[in-house]
Amino acid sequence: MSDDPVRRQGPPEERRRQRFISKSSAVSLKYLRRVEELPHMPEALTPFLHILGHVFVEQGGAVKPEHIPTVGTYCVMVPPELIYAAGAMPVKLCGGSYTAFNIGDDVAPRDACPLVKAVMGFETVGAAPVYRECAMIAVPVTCDCKKKLAGYLGERRPTVALHVPSGRDRDEDMERFVEELYAFGAKLTELTGAPLSYERLSWACGLTAAAQYELSRFITLRRKAPLVIKGTHYMAAMNAMSYTHISLWTRHMRALCDELEQRIRNGEMASKENRPRILVTGSPIVFPNFKLPLLIEEMGGALVADETCMGERGAYDPPAIVDQSTDGILRALANRSTRPCTCPTFVDNKRRLYRIRQMIEDYRVEGVIYHVLRGCLVYDYEYRAMEEELGKLGVPIIRVESDYNEEDVEQLRIRIEAFVELIKYGKR
Amino acid sequence: MKVYAGLDGGSTYLKAALIDEYGRVLRTGVTSTGIDNNASAKRLLAGLMEACGVSRVDYTMATGYSRKILEVADDDVSEITAHAYGVRVTAPKEYRSGMIVDIGGQDSKIIYLDANYTVKNFTMNDKCAAGTGKFMEVIAQILETTIDQVGPLSLESTAPCDINSTCVVFAQSEVISLVARKFDRRDILSGMHLSMAKRIIKMMKKSEKDGDVLMTGGGALNIGLRKAFEDELMRDVFVANYPQFNGAIGAALLASERG
Repeated sequence: MSDDPVRRQGPPEERRRQRFISKSSAVSLKYLRRVEELPHMPEALTPFLHILGHVFVEQGGAVKPEHIPTVGTYCVMVPPELIYAAGAMPVKLCGGSYTAFNIGDDVAPRDACPLVKAVMGFETVGAAPVYRECAMIAVPVTCDCKKKLAGYLGERRPTVALHVPSGRDRDEDMERFVEELYAFGAKLTELTGAPLSYERLSWACGLTAAAQYELSRFITLRRKAPLVIKGTHYMAAMNAMSYTHISLWTRHMRALCDELEQRIRNGEMASKENRPRILVTGSPIVFPNFKLPLLIEEMGGALVADETCMGERGAYDPPAIVDQSTDGILRALANRSTRPCTCPTFVDNKRRLYRIRQMIEDYRVEGVIYHVLRGCLVYDYEYRAMEEELGKLGVPIIRVESDYNEEDVEQLRIRIEAFVELIKYGKR
Repeated sequence: MKVYAGLDGGSTYLKAALIDEYGRVLRTGVTSTGIDNNASAKRLLAGLMEACGVSRVDYTMATGYSRKILEVADDDVSEITAHAYGVRVTAPKEYRSGMIVDIGGQDSKIIYLDANYTVKNFTMNDKCAAGTGKFMEVIAQILETTIDQVGPLSLESTAPCDINSTCVVFAQSEVISLVARKFDRRDILSGMHLSMAKRIIKMMKKSEKDGDVLMTGGGALNIGLRKAFEDELMRDVFVANYPQFNGAIGAALLASERG
């Protein structure tokens, strides 16, 4: 081993960083290949995979025009419009890296969720430019882990903790969130020097509206033909959104939708008609932690939809601006980022059940896989209610608990295989 | 006569069953899994065929850990589906379809069935063998007895010991210290069954009241474990006929739908 180049270069910290980089690149490359090897990949998916490869394999920064600073965000409650309006770009930093998770495991308590552990791991090692290059980080205080994460990051770099209300039905809660957004806006202006004027905000709303338009096209296409694209493939496209300037992503998404439309016209499907149609809900699935979607499709299921914050939940309607003013836009953004959100961090979250019911109908779902990242308590809490609701509809559901490592792949495999069979044999 | 075979390549034993087109069990057989799954499977199957006097099998279905590598099989199916099918044949007449508790060598699972024996849901142990046959084997060895004796012995217990460790390895040292303190091994065995039952019951939905509980898998052969389940669950527990072969029989039944 003495001729290992890493061994002889630089101080121990630097060597650890090098090892971290080569290890996490290797894992990401493996998963990227597995995504690529799945049959029926649309050609227009390639740019999305390039983005994931650029960030996680080549260890490049966010994909964007050079001069724009990036602001790290988490969850779906930080309105990207504010950041674009300030002349910066949001990068969603929710981590899915097994390598970073292992390091974060030392920093966070045992029962913290792996997603937050991964983020802490990235921060500790100081590798991954997409993390390092952020000029500021905005952490919405959603669950307990995110709250402590905000504190942890705050000790190391410019961080804004965005206090998300836990309820949405009282005016004073929403009023407070609007104030939070104003304060966040002021921090952004401090960073870039650009004031959040009405013109800039409405231009930024236009940017996201264009992305949402393509996204709604994408969703409509998939509802019409749930099997037109493999679930793992659309998840890769959705994941890529986190690291790309929204105009670029919109362009790639437009091309993907065009190709899918063509496929539907030609009657080409990405999966056989009789495969059990499965929806995934629960904790987010962040690249490279793609073992669940890959297993579903490898075991003969068709992953037709997801109700997670890395997928369709990012696709809420554009903000409804009723009052054409700066304040009007901020209020619309505050509303859009919380009211329709189905994150279990809110006290009352009945709308998640309604949404799942709607999605089951829209995508003709035959079974639901409830993904729980170990330590993600809020999602685990809602399993019961979901199971009861789906029981009424006669739709089978299975709870699958997982972590950021590959040690449980075989245990997951047998569960998913049996679940796919359960649907198949139940149909007869 | 048509003949169908089911193979269940478990972690500890390889089981096989032959059934006819009416779903009647013709013969069952078991062998240690060994290192060459394929050769063991072929030998086992050939032996069963000879004993039944049949020269060909119409369709063979595999299940269990090694199901993907058993070349003699025409197709394979997961253990969950196989066990759910198996009970159609193996459940005693008075059993009303509800819950199956399968205790295998290295995993245990709970399967929930609707009234038509269709799988509604299931749970399995993960990353831990404390509620499985392996656990029983380890403890039997310490107590200088055999796996088939632990059940009858435990029934003679008058004051079951407490075994609280949830890990096979820790439980092992707990048992060793009980032995050192001169506890009666019948009481230790009885305590072991209660501790296993508790652990498996933790995976169960207590709210599930429809139907009965049926034990399958090698663990169901243990009368002491069955009694512990009845004590802990506070309800009757049924034991499948041919419990150890339930997976293989289920696979054979699925084979009969194909061939």
